[in-house]
Amino acid sequence: MTRAHASATAEHAFGSHSNPFGGFVGGSELQAVTIPDAVRRCRWIAMDINAEAFGLFFVAPAAERARLVACFDSDYPSVAQATRMVSDPAGEEIVQHTRQSTGPRWWCDDSQAESGGALRDLTWVERTTPLVPGTTGIAFPVHADHGQCGLVVFFGAAMTLSGNAVYDIHARCFSLFNAVARIRPGETGRARAMSKRELECLKLTANGYTSEEIARLLKLSVHTANQYLTQSAQKLDAVNRTQAVAKALRLGLID
Amino acid sequence: MDSGLKTMTAFAAPLTSDAVGIRLSSRADLTGFLTQLADEIGADSYMLVAIVHEQERNDARIVASNWLYDAIELIGKRLIASLAHGPLTAAPGTRAQPLVTAHADTASGLLSGEEARLLDVLGHAELYSLRLDVGRQRLFVLFSAAETDRIDPAALNRAQLKCCYALSQVSQLLAAAAVQDPLSDRERECLFWVSEGKTTEEVAVILGVSANTVNSYITHAIQKFSASNRAMAIATAIRSGII
Repeated sequence: MTRAHASATAEHAFGSHSNPFGGFVGGSELQAVTIPDAVRRCRWIAMDINAEAFGLFFVAPAAERARLVACFDSDYPSVAQATRMVSDPAGEEIVQHTRQSTGPRWWCDDSQAESGGALRDLTWVERTTPLVPGTTGIAFPVHADHGQCGLVVFFGAAMTLSGNAVYDIHARCFSLFNAVARIRPGETGRARAMSKRELECLKLTANGYTSEEIARLLKLSVHTANQYLTQSAQKLDAVNRTQAVAKALRLGLID
Repeated sequence: MDSGLKTMTAFAAPLTSDAVGIRLSSRADLTGFLTQLADEIGADSYMLVAIVHEQERNDARIVASNWLYDAIELIGKRLIASLAHGPLTAAPGTRAQPLVTAHADTASGLLSGEEARLLDVLGHAELYSLRLDVGRQRLFVLFSAAETDRIDPAALNRAQLKCCYALSQVSQLLAAAAVQDPLSDRERECLFWVSEGKTTEEVAVILGVSANTVNSYITHAIQKFSASNRAMAIATAIRSGII
């Protein structure tokens, strides 16, 4: 695929919502983005820095030890060899890093002479343990609007990345990740729209009100308030109202 | 298509690179860095803000700023919080939009006419708010200039990432200003599982402790957040990025 072709495809997919900076303007249209669109867009970034492969990971929120969860990579819809080979200790290290810092990290394989050439001279970008043994790569920590956290990774010994391009590429990774983070939770039944009343009840529950108090505030009967909360839990595929509140907050349905 | 190609050339062209290896370690470094950055993008003032969510409303904690002290007093922390964490705030990777106080849209409820005039008089005719992600911490920076169109939006987008990188080096300095995590590891773990919809008994099985212990962890967490029940404790923890 040539560059021009790739850019045309990307233009088509993102149309007028893309801006020269690679970010989105406008909001609700974001939901129309699909994983294949996102893969295409990531490939477009990879081409701009002459990377051979890429991958997008989520840092799964876990109580004890957060871990990397692959979302897609350059071999989409299958899974690239590199993604399978992410080494556990290095993965853990980069997860720790991502939770504390937004600085990009690069690595290379020392056995290959001159590897990591362009990456060595970058401002702000520091070296780390190879995420995948025997590769050269760079990882950009990214965060989405509603607190999801992740990593966009590019592999390739001949990557060209210099000076201000780091900021631009990282910004595009941010915007890409935000788009992906919005579609990923969709699997949990976002297709069923929440009503205004249901959201109001959820929001009040999040603020610590009981059903009785909500009923009084919204001038409903207690039964109706409970009904709204039960419905919202069902729509969010939650087992109880506490989980419904947590899910609604994480999806950004309430704030 | 045309604009797409233009974008490519913009990225391909080697832009002037900045000085290498800036290392921040102290608060003085941080103010120095922000002053220099404001200068680079054509802004007169900066203000680095952490937002804390307390009692159903946002409050601003100012980490670093070169605003006049009186200006902060006059404008008030509440308004600063709504400017910093408001509808015009740009996340990294999105295009920043200015708040121009001379013709601020007072209908949006962000600013009253009086507040807009006050900002204008105090030298904040044009104001940009940017979200900064520093690991899981979230901060906001306001850049403003006394005249409109002085701030360069393209430079602003880079400054935003540069800020994220620089602040990542001094995250422990910021931790004091940002939301503190009052929970112990066990309490955090319990809250996390409860937010996943698990019952007390299920959490007890997961963590291998008794149900009473789980309840006591959760009660402690509720007290620490001064929340009125589990749902509120979980909402507070999610809002402040603890779980």
